[in-house]
Amino acid sequence: MEPLIRLVDIEKSFAHGPGRTFVLRRISLDIQEGDFVSIMGPSGAGKSTLLHIMGMHDSAFAGEYHLMGEPVHDRPPKRRAELGKEYIGFVFQSYHLLDDMTVYENLEVPLTYRNIRRSERQGMVADVLDRFHIVGKKDLYPNQLSGGQQQLVAVARAVIARPKVILADEPTGNLHSSQGKEIMDLFKTLNDQGTTIVQVTHSDVNATYGRRIVKLSDGWIVDGDR
Amino acid sequence: MDTLIQDLRYGIRTLLKNPGFAAVAAITLAVGIGANTAIFSVVNATLLRPLPYAEPDRLSVVTIDRLEQGRRFTVSKADFLILKEEMRSFEKLAAVTTDRLNLTGVEEPQRVAAMWVTADFFSILGVPPALGRGFAADEDRPGKPAVAVVSHGLWQRHLSADPGAIGRSITLNDQTYTVVGVMPKGFTFLRDFDVWPILQLTPPTKRPPFFYRILGRLKPGVGEPQLRAELAAMHGRVESAWPDPQKTGWAFEAEPLKEFITGGARPALLVLWAAVGCVLLIATANVANLLLSRAATREREIAVRAALGASRLRLVRQLLTESLVLAVVGGGLGLVLALWGIDLLSALEPGNLPRMSEVRIDQGVLVFSSLLSLASGVLFGLAPALQVSRARLNETLKEGGRAATEARGRRRLRGVLVIGQMALALMLLVAAGLMVKSFIRLQQVDPGFESRDLLTVQLSLSKARYPDPQQQAAFYRLLLERARSLPGVQAASMSDSIPPERLEILEVFEVEGQPVPAGQSRPMAEEVLIGTDYFRALGIPLLKGRPPGPQDNADAPPVAWINETMSHRYFPDGDAVGKHIHAGGFGPEDPWITIAGVAGDVKYNGLMAERAPTIYVPYEQQVFWEGEMHLAVRASTDPGSLVAAVRREVQALDPGLPLAAVKTGDQLLASAVGRPRFQTMLIGVFALSALLLAAVGIYGVISYSTAQRTHEIGLRMALGARSRDVLRLVLGQGMRLALAGTVLGLVGALFLTRLMKGVLFGVSATDPLTFALIALLLAAVAFLACYVPARRATRVDPMVALRCE
Repeated sequence: MEPLIRLVDIEKSFAHGPGRTFVLRRISLDIQEGDFVSIMGPSGAGKSTLLHIMGMHDSAFAGEYHLMGEPVHDRPPKRRAELGKEYIGFVFQSYHLLDDMTVYENLEVPLTYRNIRRSERQGMVADVLDRFHIVGKKDLYPNQLSGGQQQLVAVARAVIARPKVILADEPTGNLHSSQGKEIMDLFKTLNDQGTTIVQVTHSDVNATYGRRIVKLSDGWIVDGDR
Repeated sequence: MDTLIQDLRYGIRTLLKNPGFAAVAAITLAVGIGANTAIFSVVNATLLRPLPYAEPDRLSVVTIDRLEQGRRFTVSKADFLILKEEMRSFEKLAAVTTDRLNLTGVEEPQRVAAMWVTADFFSILGVPPALGRGFAADEDRPGKPAVAVVSHGLWQRHLSADPGAIGRSITLNDQTYTVVGVMPKGFTFLRDFDVWPILQLTPPTKRPPFFYRILGRLKPGVGEPQLRAELAAMHGRVESAWPDPQKTGWAFEAEPLKEFITGGARPALLVLWAAVGCVLLIATANVANLLLSRAATREREIAVRAALGASRLRLVRQLLTESLVLAVVGGGLGLVLALWGIDLLSALEPGNLPRMSEVRIDQGVLVFSSLLSLASGVLFGLAPALQVSRARLNETLKEGGRAATEARGRRRLRGVLVIGQMALALMLLVAAGLMVKSFIRLQQVDPGFESRDLLTVQLSLSKARYPDPQQQAAFYRLLLERARSLPGVQAASMSDSIPPERLEILEVFEVEGQPVPAGQSRPMAEEVLIGTDYFRALGIPLLKGRPPGPQDNADAPPVAWINETMSHRYFPDGDAVGKHIHAGGFGPEDPWITIAGVAGDVKYNGLMAERAPTIYVPYEQQVFWEGEMHLAVRASTDPGSLVAAVRREVQALDPGLPLAAVKTGDQLLASAVGRPRFQTMLIGVFALSALLLAAVGIYGVISYSTAQRTHEIGLRMALGARSRDVLRLVLGQGMRLALAGTVLGLVGALFLTRLMKGVLFGVSATDPLTFALIALLLAAVAFLACYVPARRATRVDPMVALRCE
């Protein structure tokens, strides 16, 4: 079965005087639909860089990146943006909610960038509010929520457009353990429902929620590749 | 559409959450937009709006162009009658001439502004009276009953706004006129008049005098070539009807009425409009810089939106929408400021700008203001939006990845904006500096008379009570006797012209023994009718010969005085006294006039006019003179204190004779510089506003940049940099921008100030001293604006700055 995501010899480097400094070295990785993959490794291993490449936030890389069978590396920026919008949801460690928007509006924002009519957007937001049990918080601003609640809203925002895969960069990094557990339980539920999850994490506990661990060190996969 | 509404809602919310920024930006824009709207309302009323008459494009004014003089002159009765009879290009023609008449039979006799017009005047303009009618076709024939049309204002003030006023009588210069019509409120032609009495022209016996303007309505389809050809033919007709073989240097000219009314004001208005446009550009640059400064705080938001799927176009649209909201708020405030500004302009304007009474915020001005607000929004919003929307997702979204330094592009853009502001401010300051220098030069012009301790009063004797010149002369003789006997009066005289800008007559002249070659036109001189003791009363130096005295009456041989310019030009080798001239509409049988003296040069045609030949003629020796005369009184005390006494003496001789235009000599001079003072003041205000905005702009940029460099500055100080090294670092950055802006501004000013030649006096449009001083001023202001943040930077604590990393 063709993987959802296929990475072949992905490399990222910066020019540094006469030479180059590599952040990622010949990363090859397949992620199947329905997988729950944890990417782990020490600081500076290139984990977040790899995740941002997968999330279409960084296009300066070498190698092949296939998403749903489409060669992203060969596509122009506009097509890449469309692929990202269609298939990927991203969760950030710092939530990155928009401070001047209510919970409702934060959830609606990704839908406004996808040419979805207002009436349809209203229904989708209402559905997600209900699924995540945050209907009562829809008119609150991020600064009126706890860290865990903000991350919950961020996860809701990531799934509202029904992506195929969720990429999560240290999703519990700024939360204390009980809040973190709630978020990881949520990811588990989403994965059970069919959403592919790829998370970057330092936490062994969080890694146990997944089915597979990929370890990076100095830009190389040292364990758990294809 | 609903995403646009979302953007609008979000934009308004963002501004409300940042009230300080929003207020500063909105007020900055309001000043720029308000000033532009106010000036545009004047430009619109004066230059753009069609004249308030029927089919105004077909209205034309016919004048005489004396080709060597380079200016237009009025025509004669004889000219008008020929053109009226024979021209085919016009549907109708009317002759008009302005006057001030004594309105009596009312509570207090008044001098009213009058325009004598022939019968077709109102039908040519196509503006029907609000009450009654205009003139019937034959009412301008001599012998017909005297009728008049009055203004709305006069109807209210002196006819009690009586709807039955038609058929009532008014007395003008002791002659009774029947009111046949009342014009609508706000009707104006050339300027505001109180009454239009019918002008009945008797058949001429010679071609002069040249008192009239001709207003005509062209037939549909008549083009300029046809009109010019016919006017050339009319020139031949007039020459053959009133032959004068030496007067060939003239032609009839027709000018569209709008051009005639507004043409003189165009250069100054366009300079003002350009100046205020510069202020707006500087204001928008300031707001753009404010937006760029805020961009750093919105980097994360923009990066998140991009990560959530927003395309760059979508982000630019959102940011532009916010800018447009700001622009609309600024525009609304600007409109309020403009209303106040228009009132202020109307109050300060000295009465020289045409159509000022029509200045208002109308539909055209509202459209202009709205478009200006939107354009400003795009102008100040677009560049920052394009910059900010270039989201650096990687650096911004990664944990700990907040961009430590500002994007280079944004820094460069900020620098470019400041350079642009400096350049514009310099251009405006140079323009203001040239205007100030020009105004100072104007005030230094020697008017030729002593303005201190001088009182002037205007009088007009009616033909009905004083039908011939001898009776008028007798009245003035008595008046002068009484005036000279008043305590505090050193000297008194009468004249028809008052310096520095009330010249009544320009006349041709000829010097005995210096005949004008055939085919050339006779020279022209300013002709002033004077009474006895004139030069002493006006404080004009008498350089040669004797003063005018009681012996220079109608029975004495004709004499005249000339000015120094005429003496040098026409009698360079010897004494002009005793030589002979002809002046005025003379023929070969007229006696030569003996020059009795030479007086110093006096400005009669405005302080900016070139010195011209002047001939002074005793009015008692003039066969034909009428109209207004001025009583000039030289006082040994405050001239204002003599007004009541002079009025008493005048009314003791003629109780129904009102005084008008009571002015001291200093007031006459102040009036002469009224328009240049007004223009200079306006440009000065705009230039100072531009300087302030530019200073705020460079201060903001350097201040922000210094805050961004806190870590770097702390590190430098930890490595041994002293306060002056830090000062040099920060000041150097700011002064480099200021220098680039100054150089750019100087180059721009060199080109643009050439357009100001028409409004400058006595100073070159590229005056090096002005350019240099203004450049230094701008550099000094920029230095001060940079010094404050530079000084603040020297107080950075290296340990605090480094710990924050």
